[in-house]
Amino acid sequence: MSKKPTVQPALHKVIMVGSGGVGKSALTLQFMYDEFVEDYEPTKADSYRKKILLDGEDVQIDILDTAGQEDYAAIRDNYFRSGEGFLCIFSITEDESFQATQEFREQILRVKNDENIPFLLVGNKCDLEDKRKVSFQEASDRAKQWGVTYVETSAKTREHVDKVFFDLMREIRARKMEENKTSNGKKKDTSKKKKLKCVIL
Amino acid sequence: MTPPPIVTGLSPNEGPPGTKITIRGENFGTKPTDLTGLKVCGCDCLLSAEWKSPNKIIAISGPGKGKGDIIVTTRLGGEGVCNVSFKGYYETVGSLKESAVWVEEAPYFGGKHSLSSSSYQQEDPLGLSVEGNDKKFPEDDLKELFPNSSGNIALENFSPGWFLLENHHVTSFNDLKAGLLHLRRKVEGQKEGQLSFLKSNISSVVDQLDTIGSMKDKFRCDLTEYGNEPTLKLDKSIKECERDARKLFDDVLTRRDRAEKTRNALNVLARFRFLFCLPCVIERNIKKGDYEIVINDYMRVKNLFNKSDVAVFKTALNEIEKKVAGLQKMLHQKLVQMPISVEEQKRLIRHLVNLESPYEPAWDAIQSHSEYINLRMRHCYEEHKVAEAIFIEEISKAKGGSSTSKYSKFNQPPQDLSSIPENVLFIEDLCEIVSELFPDLWKLGQAYFTGDLHVKVEPGRQVGFKHIVLSIMEAFCKTLRSAIIPHTLDKSTDKATYGTWSTPDSDTIKPWLPACLRYVRSTYSILIKLDLPSEALDIVFKFILDLRIHCMSVLFKQASDQIEQLSKQETWKIEFTGKHNGVTELPIKFEQSVQEVIQIVRESVLLSEQREGSLLDNPTANKELDKQVDSLLSMFHKVLSNLSLKKDNDDDDECTTVVSQLIGTPTASYRTHNSKSQLPIWEHRLLTTLSNCQYTRLVVLKNLEEGFTKGGYPAPKVALDNCCSKLEALEKSVLELYLEEKSDPLVGTIEPSMYLERFDWDTQIKPTDVRPYVKECINNLIHVHSEVNSISPTLVNSVLPQVVQTISEEIYRLMVCVQKFSKAGILQARVDINTLQHFFQNYSTSKAKYYFKEALDTIPALETSEQLIIEEILKVCKKRMKLQILCLQQPITNGVLK
Repeated sequence: MSKKPTVQPALHKVIMVGSGGVGKSALTLQFMYDEFVEDYEPTKADSYRKKILLDGEDVQIDILDTAGQEDYAAIRDNYFRSGEGFLCIFSITEDESFQATQEFREQILRVKNDENIPFLLVGNKCDLEDKRKVSFQEASDRAKQWGVTYVETSAKTREHVDKVFFDLMREIRARKMEENKTSNGKKKDTSKKKKLKCVIL
Repeated sequence: MTPPPIVTGLSPNEGPPGTKITIRGENFGTKPTDLTGLKVCGCDCLLSAEWKSPNKIIAISGPGKGKGDIIVTTRLGGEGVCNVSFKGYYETVGSLKESAVWVEEAPYFGGKHSLSSSSYQQEDPLGLSVEGNDKKFPEDDLKELFPNSSGNIALENFSPGWFLLENHHVTSFNDLKAGLLHLRRKVEGQKEGQLSFLKSNISSVVDQLDTIGSMKDKFRCDLTEYGNEPTLKLDKSIKECERDARKLFDDVLTRRDRAEKTRNALNVLARFRFLFCLPCVIERNIKKGDYEIVINDYMRVKNLFNKSDVAVFKTALNEIEKKVAGLQKMLHQKLVQMPISVEEQKRLIRHLVNLESPYEPAWDAIQSHSEYINLRMRHCYEEHKVAEAIFIEEISKAKGGSSTSKYSKFNQPPQDLSSIPENVLFIEDLCEIVSELFPDLWKLGQAYFTGDLHVKVEPGRQVGFKHIVLSIMEAFCKTLRSAIIPHTLDKSTDKATYGTWSTPDSDTIKPWLPACLRYVRSTYSILIKLDLPSEALDIVFKFILDLRIHCMSVLFKQASDQIEQLSKQETWKIEFTGKHNGVTELPIKFEQSVQEVIQIVRESVLLSEQREGSLLDNPTANKELDKQVDSLLSMFHKVLSNLSLKKDNDDDDECTTVVSQLIGTPTASYRTHNSKSQLPIWEHRLLTTLSNCQYTRLVVLKNLEEGFTKGGYPAPKVALDNCCSKLEALEKSVLELYLEEKSDPLVGTIEPSMYLERFDWDTQIKPTDVRPYVKECINNLIHVHSEVNSISPTLVNSVLPQVVQTISEEIYRLMVCVQKFSKAGILQARVDINTLQHFFQNYSTSKAKYYFKEALDTIPALETSEQLIIEEILKVCKKRMKLQILCLQQPITNGVLK
């Protein structure tokens, strides 16, 4: 309490993307509240934020759980703009949702204009092995192609749920540190630019 | 301390008013009632909040607008914090769209709307439907994108980009194209507007032109006809008209003015007449009793002429004032004249107040009322005192005359009993007076102080009134006390002031005490209903308490006396009830009278009525009760002991101790029954009392204890125990007395009988039977047995062994004293003692057995051959005395035989 004047813990903004019904909200709620919600209710846009311990460091995670439904596709750009990391989720029991990840990836890259944006491809519902439509290979191939990690999770059994969030946050943190370094010293920045120029030259 | 609630999750994070929000977080309390507050964007949404779990609440958003926190407040955790924010926004509402809140249907593109007033719904400039445009484009983003711009089409800084994003970001490209076309068409239409308007309305335009032309022609015509000023002629004729009209109506108007003047004069005259006639009118009305009319007239005249300086008026006014003063005096007299109803008094007070009387009518009325009550109380006392004096005189006369006239002596007592004592009548009357008059006084006082009488309450009157009320209560209670319980009046001065009665403590009043209590209580209940201050009520309350205690002790004393009388009522008629011994009616009567008094006291005294504490909470009452119960129970003990221990002198003379039947004359051996009294013999009475004692101790006392507890009394344990032990002691002494009475003569006869006819143990006569003294002894014992058994079979066991023991002792003593036994004497002695042993074996205590054995041992031993002879004799003897053996068998068999 007395340490209030100290800097607020770093805030990492995570955005859950993916088609409707793949389990974005389920993953979020499982991560946030250890709770598995059975009944399906389409999300419009939900916000969650909580303090967690990431590798011994207090951080705040802000999760924006977005709508998967096409109806809301038009406003996604706005959301994506504020995100610092993305969990792109599909259901391994539904090929269509896997195909849709392509579209989401493109949209994110377009909005963020950054190839290295922290991004994880997540195949959810891995507890339903018998209904699997998307093979692990297929998914990890795509991930490799994008240069991102692929993780299979189950919101129901909580398998890898923490992992995906923590992994993503680590990526975000690493990236922020990098940015800080670059912006910290302007000299460095300029020198880098010069360097770049030199290279081009 | 419970940590404050924290909101960490919202679903959804934005929405229009009425959105159902799932709020997640921590420390939302452990039960629904823990949730004490919920604010969404500053709007209180607690009403719609639904507590689901310690980390989930579902609520409906209110009309908050813009980004804001969701603050949860819990009972223990206080106001919480919020990590996430909710954004409320208002939707464009069409006629078909549901909305949770009132949304203005104001057009958001200004003036344009008024043109398209034909359309109910605001029109999109692109001619496209805005319906279904659910998803609003974030306003913040728009502001960011288009700084210093607005989406309002009517504003100067209108930005088409903003407008399109705000209203059409979901519109398809094709629709937008169509919209553009529509817009273009509209613009075209506006450009060529004027010309097309003229074209379409050509005929009406031509009509208008024609009309204007004809109007111009007409005007020109008029000009030539009437010159340049066409209104001159008109003006002239109007003036003419006015003049004529004046001529016509002047006459009427003056007449009207005159009439008005006359009327005014008449009014004034009437007023004067009213003034001058008023004294007469007032007098007449006073006679008729129409005071209200008088008051009205008086007010009126005062209003009209009070300020007048005219001498005539003044004298008239003076006269009126005089009359009114007289009326005031009369009314005041009426007011203080008692008796009078409160309503009447109130009316009079109102009149007096209206007449601006110099008196203080309300207060005077109160005072006169209180005086009246006091007076009535005093009168009542005097009346009854006189009646009492007459009564006493009569009694004394009757007493004086009793010696001369037998008639009056017989006539007096019943009259004495039936007539109610004068002080009881007095109490009844006094209670009636107070319950009748006091409420009026109190009502009057209340009306006075609450302002119902429209009188200004003088300072200090409140205290004065309280004093009056208290003093009346005091006088009432003290007078009552002096009449029935004068011992509670501590000061002798009080006794003098509140009167003394000659009979308060005499027995005549006692039966009337409950009735007195009833009277006082009914008055008390009336007083309680009046809502008197507790100070005043307490006076009566205390009196009632004292009266109750007194009444209780008197009732108990009465019962006690009644029980004392029981000793005279003892009939000695034995009744057998159930498993108990024979008892007389005495204990039953005792129980009855105690139960009766319990019942009466409970009904009349103990049961507390309105605003009366339980009597038994009062320590003095409790002590008194204990004392009375104790004396009540002791009284019975006294009765019993009197009955049993008192030997009648007659009896003593008649009954000498039993003399041996063998010696004495047969007539002397029987106790001649006293022919004068039908009392049973004393021994019987002893036994009966013993049995009564037992019955009382074992049955009646238990019943009484039950009766006491049932009646709501505290169980009088001490008194009961006391009585019990007393009875036990009595039993013991009675038993001893009886034993003494019985065994002394019985034992006393043995020796003379033994040596009757100069018998000597050194005899040579061979024994053939037991000696007569043995038979006599046995018969005597049987006699005792039968006597005891006839009254109380259970007593047999405690009486007989004692007797047998004394017999055995005597036998032993006699045997020791024998100097010499002959052979035959030895035989005889052995036969005798063996017989006794055999007959008394059922009632022999170990001590008795021991004495018998010792007696045998003192007799010289026998040879075995002689033993046979003894047995032979015994056998014969037993056979002969079979009946006697049967008599002395176990008491149980006796009981059955009976």
